[in-house]
Amino acid sequence: MAKKKARAEDETKAELNMSSMMDACFLLIIFFVVNASQITVAKDPCVRMPNAVTCSDMKDANGCVVVNVFADADKMSDKEASKFAEKYAPGTAWGVSDGSKTIGYGPEQVQDLTDYITKQVEFWKGKNTDPNLIRLYIRGDKDASWERSAAVIRCAAAAGLSNVVFGTLPAN
Amino acid sequence: MARRKQREAEPEEEPQMNMSSMMDACFLLLIYFIVATSLVSEKRLSVSLPGGESTGGTPPPLEPGRIKIEANGSVYWNGDMAMAGPMDPTLKPRTPEYREQRQMGELVEALKNLAEAAKAADTTPIVMVEGATATPHQRIVDVMAALSEAGITTVGLNTAAQE
Repeated sequence: MAKKKARAEDETKAELNMSSMMDACFLLIIFFVVNASQITVAKDPCVRMPNAVTCSDMKDANGCVVVNVFADADKMSDKEASKFAEKYAPGTAWGVSDGSKTIGYGPEQVQDLTDYITKQVEFWKGKNTDPNLIRLYIRGDKDASWERSAAVIRCAAAAGLSNVVFGTLPAN
Repeated sequence: MARRKQREAEPEEEPQMNMSSMMDACFLLLIYFIVATSLVSEKRLSVSLPGGESTGGTPPPLEPGRIKIEANGSVYWNGDMAMAGPMDPTLKPRTPEYREQRQMGELVEALKNLAEAAKAADTTPIVMVEGATATPHQRIVDVMAALSEAGITTVGLNTAAQE
């Protein structure tokens, strides 16, 4: 009788073999770890990226001073405009991220933008980044006016930064 | 006696490792990387602005090329040579008409000629791009793509006053 009971207890123990699941998990982790290196710069969802036929991969984000250039709110869709209004004050032309917070600058805050770029250049220099690798990364909205992008380039030049990278998506 | 010993030995089970906490950690890492990964990577178009101060006493032997972009998207090379017409905002992306509007084969050819001439003169080709203030950023990127295709990376960027 007791033997029977013991056998029944043994039979009820169901075990799941986790080893194959672990294998799959590790493979997925390796895949995503490798791909995660493609994250190069903080991406502002309010910017609709332009595309270009000829462009090359961005391999390293070190030394990038990222400035988002926004289009006028009337050129955005309703959804984009509401997202923009949540994050930035009306009339904001440029957006940057400073640590975990996002800062927006209006056309009248050119000096503040120059100060930000100067600060970022000093930051990268402090990290012993190759001076040739310190560059301005313009994430311009495809409908943003050239006036705004040119103003950022002028600010960068005032901060001593002459390497400019235009962020694009591949056309195909 | 022997029977008792045998009974005592039986309950000892095979040692097993509890994988549940490791699985938890694995899934957390997996979720983090899935969320943080962007498979569509942004590309770049690099340009170097010419320095403000002259490094040598002699002027460059080759005249820089000049590209003018009007507010409507028309592109002109060295004055009045039209290289691309105005942009039609009604065209939808990914259509052949849109692609045709964006390509600038003639400009690329002209830029390649400039690059070859610069190579022959053993100097760096310089191109000055003058965009109207209201030019869409996309058109500037189109011109930059043409420059990149021709292998020209030293570009001066100017802003023209709006007419």
